[in-house]
Amino acid sequence: MGFKFYRVNALLLKYWFITKNKLDRIFDMIYWPVIQILIWGFIVIFVEDISESNVKSWLLGAVIMWTFLWKASQDLAVYILEDHWSRSLYNVFSTPLQNSEIIVSVLIFSFLRGLATLIITVPLTWILYSYNFFTIDIFYLVIFAILLVLFGWVLGLIVAALVYTFGQRIQVLAWSVSVLIQPFSCVFYPLSSLPKWAQYIAFYIPTTHVFESMRALVNGQPINMLNISIAFITSIALLIITTWLFVKSIGKAKQKGLFTRYD
Amino acid sequence: MRAIEVSGLKKSFKWKGNAIKAVDNVYFSVEEGEIFGLLGQNGAGKSTIINILAGTLEADEGDIRILGKNPKEEHEYVRQKMNVASAYFGLPEQLTLYENLIVYAKIYNVKRPKERVMHLLELFQLMDIKDKMTSRISSGERTRLNLCKALINRPKIILLDEATVGLDPDIASLTRKVIKTYCKQENASILFTSHYMYEVEELCDKIGFLKTGKLIKIDTAENLKKLIKKQVIKLSFAQPYKEIRQLVKDKKLNVIHIEDNAIHFEVMLGEQYLHQLIHDLYKNNIKIADIHIEKPTLNDIFIKIARDEI
Repeated sequence: MGFKFYRVNALLLKYWFITKNKLDRIFDMIYWPVIQILIWGFIVIFVEDISESNVKSWLLGAVIMWTFLWKASQDLAVYILEDHWSRSLYNVFSTPLQNSEIIVSVLIFSFLRGLATLIITVPLTWILYSYNFFTIDIFYLVIFAILLVLFGWVLGLIVAALVYTFGQRIQVLAWSVSVLIQPFSCVFYPLSSLPKWAQYIAFYIPTTHVFESMRALVNGQPINMLNISIAFITSIALLIITTWLFVKSIGKAKQKGLFTRYD
Repeated sequence: MRAIEVSGLKKSFKWKGNAIKAVDNVYFSVEEGEIFGLLGQNGAGKSTIINILAGTLEADEGDIRILGKNPKEEHEYVRQKMNVASAYFGLPEQLTLYENLIVYAKIYNVKRPKERVMHLLELFQLMDIKDKMTSRISSGERTRLNLCKALINRPKIILLDEATVGLDPDIASLTRKVIKTYCKQENASILFTSHYMYEVEELCDKIGFLKTGKLIKIDTAENLKKLIKKQVIKLSFAQPYKEIRQLVKDKKLNVIHIEDNAIHFEVMLGEQYLHQLIHDLYKNNIKIADIHIEKPTLNDIFIKIARDEI
């Protein structure tokens, strides 16, 4: 039962072929992030005129980071769905591929797609709005990126597990699950602005602490490292649980015959 | 060593609160180098057995040995030695034929993958369309692509679930030749399902008949055909003869069709009707234009089993 990197590489090659051949996959890597940057950039220009706070830094920084998380979570689920759409799951699961190799390959590829959106959004905000993303300390940027990608993977794996359990009828979650989390992640507003009940939920969502910390940095305030540590531990725990759920869902799909259905 | 050994295999599916038995206590084995055909009506359980062996469906009960190993315990070893092609499942549509095969070659860690892919594309006459998107190829080309994938890792065991569907007669004949040659060269075993009886008869060393999840008969095509004891003899005459009807009556033939210039009748296999009948016809000055003896086919066996007539 050995994990083999050549099989991970083979899956990465497949995802690359899908990306380069399918216009949708190139489109959703560029189009939506660019639209997000344009809309929020114009809002920033407007708000800057009526506000004295450093809106540009925390709002555009938040958009860039949210897009990164959004891509990591959505792409993980979408690349799992690609095999559903082409009815090729049957062929995937009749090979020597291990569950761990499938998981590692989608994690790596969704991370790379997230990075690709950063490569697009960071220079774009610089060109259009003279916003330098790297004014945030690189050490903290790396920590934020790790936390965001971990939580993005958690969301993606939940959707993938649900897709393997309930089939394609659940696929809409691939595009909507991150949006469901967004109101509680405090991407564009501080935690304190949420109603009390929502604050309890938001506190346990790791991404909240990323955006809270980013705003603190921009405003020259200290970062609450305890909250960042809690967010990190929560993300790791959630990743372990969702990985287990994903593996369980593969077993369940084999029991119920989901990979052998013709629809 | 046996290539495939299946004992007490059971699988049920839940449908509206009821458990439907798809495979019901099935036992069979496939020897090394043997081609084993699974026949049965739609829903008899053929694909379910193939899917369980392919590792895409979990059995409820039973023991499976592939090359002597338990596929659950030796997942990697077993899957590396096997491959599968099914008419019902494909390869990613948004990859070209070449890209799809190279991905699978890499999954199976095939040595010199490009060479292997090119060889298979050549073998199944797909070289000209190797850079075409899989979504844009015909069903026959898709079938051949699946077969290329099934041979990519030089498997010792191949599961073919109606894998030759949609092929034109020329390509179908080529495909059967390729399968036969591969089996001989590599001493590989094949578990094969098809609704084309001539194909099963041509390819399979042994055939198993499934009915409502139960494997009810296993034998060679030759022996299975002997289950029908009767054969039909069709005689056509050079011109209409009125005396035919009386002659048939006297001979007490089991007539199934009669006209003044033709007669079809059933005889038991091994009975010596024909010589005496021809002699009598000759004596009555009746000239025979054509004799046709219809022996039972696998198709007849299939229908008889399906209708519970055997």
